[in-house]
Amino acid sequence: MIKVSNLSKIFNGTTVLDDISVTFEPGITNLVIGKSGSGKTVLLKTVVGLLEPDMGDIWYDDIHFSELSSADKKPVRQKMGMLFQGSALFDSLTVEENIMFPLNMFTRKGMKEKRERVNFCLQRVNIKNANKMYPSELSGGMQKRVAIARAIVLNPGYLFCDEPNSGLDPKTALLIDELIKELTDEYNMTTIVNTHDMNSVMEIGEKVIFISRGIKCWEGSNKDILESDNETLNDFVFANSLAKKIRAEMQKKNPTS
Amino acid sequence: MKFLESTGRYFMLLGRVFSRPEKFYVYYRQTMKEFELLGINSIGIVVVISVFMGAVIALQTAYNTENPIYPAYLIGLGTRDMIILEFSSTMVALILAGKVGSSIASEIGTMRVTEQIDALEIMGVNSASYLILPKLVATLIFNPFLTLISIIVGIFGGWFAGTAAGVITSESFIYGIQYAFIPYYITYSLIKTVVFAFIIATVSGFQGYIVSGGSLDVGRASTKAVVYSCILILLFNVILTQLLLS
Repeated sequence: MIKVSNLSKIFNGTTVLDDISVTFEPGITNLVIGKSGSGKTVLLKTVVGLLEPDMGDIWYDDIHFSELSSADKKPVRQKMGMLFQGSALFDSLTVEENIMFPLNMFTRKGMKEKRERVNFCLQRVNIKNANKMYPSELSGGMQKRVAIARAIVLNPGYLFCDEPNSGLDPKTALLIDELIKELTDEYNMTTIVNTHDMNSVMEIGEKVIFISRGIKCWEGSNKDILESDNETLNDFVFANSLAKKIRAEMQKKNPTS
Repeated sequence: MKFLESTGRYFMLLGRVFSRPEKFYVYYRQTMKEFELLGINSIGIVVVISVFMGAVIALQTAYNTENPIYPAYLIGLGTRDMIILEFSSTMVALILAGKVGSSIASEIGTMRVTEQIDALEIMGVNSASYLILPKLVATLIFNPFLTLISIIVGIFGGWFAGTAAGVITSESFIYGIQYAFIPYYITYSLIKTVVFAFIIATVSGFQGYIVSGGSLDVGRASTKAVVYSCILILLFNVILTQLLLS
């Protein structure tokens, strides 16, 4: 579980995150949604410790993460896996070396054991015969899957995904969403996904937090998002014509909603 | 003010670079890779430049000492001392600042803008140390070898050009390069090389590490790395010359 309380972040006098409090539960996919520039990435980077909060506290289970020194944060960080928007695979390393990197850094396993673990993770994300390929030789979807394999190689307790579907076609995006959901269930991880993709929200949004201009405006699940009367949220959710049609259909069926 | 801020951030980064590595074996393997990328791959350019500069130094010395009161072996002696004292350490360092420095800054800068450095930090890896320390160790160890190669090849270039152009005999040139040889000059040259290698690796690493933005910023960081490294090399050349030869 990750608990954020009264979190604020200010850049050059501009408040990017304003007094955000939220609890991210383990074993479910927690989605943070909002327009581009709403503060989603800053929230995620602050939660993982890449940015220091100006105010507020961050707890990882019973560890007061935001109070720890850089050195003390390391053991917690080794329990984190992160999927970046652009995958962030190491260009100079092969797929196998990329996934093996955390094992080389933080375990004393032998080469055979490490190879077995790498192959297991690759199998888990449905990638075959790509061990010796370089990231530049992979498609966007494959890069994301390799990045997921690298993120889960140390059996993390916390998984963070920053816009995992950006730049992917709808079908591949759906596969990535399903993979994130399956892994969350399988390892009982606390998963936080940043997205502005409504398909993801409807597919895997077991808990959804909506942020607008750095303020948490709404919290709920994908089941109640379409029925919310929050204007800012509706503005975001029903921004495209397909969603508008769905709402119109819903209103036809149930005129009181 | 900005200069002071940058200087402070540079020294803070150095503090992180010299912290204890997470795993020595991983750093060792990375250092071996850097030996090849930054050291062995630089031998070619160092040899080509050294042989031609040695040739030009020998010919210019010959054409400027045509007066019969100057002995012929002076061409060999002048070529040797110029190459050892200045050319092989300072000139080669300036060239390596261009080749190696821009490579370091653009590699680390690209890693920064593509979030690869963030990925390292999330894993709990000290990214500053993992990325810069192996490059620093590789250049500190390998650049003195490049300097020695440059000295040998440069003197050979001078001998070849001098004898081929007929401005000096082979015997006179060889006598000249042995005449009044001061071994300390080699030490002086190697000390300068080590200091310049430190400047190239850390200044370029710093410029790459602090990049923010996109590919244009990586290009700018690469240019800054070369310019600042060259200025610092020239500045420290004066300081070290005064300290070591006075």
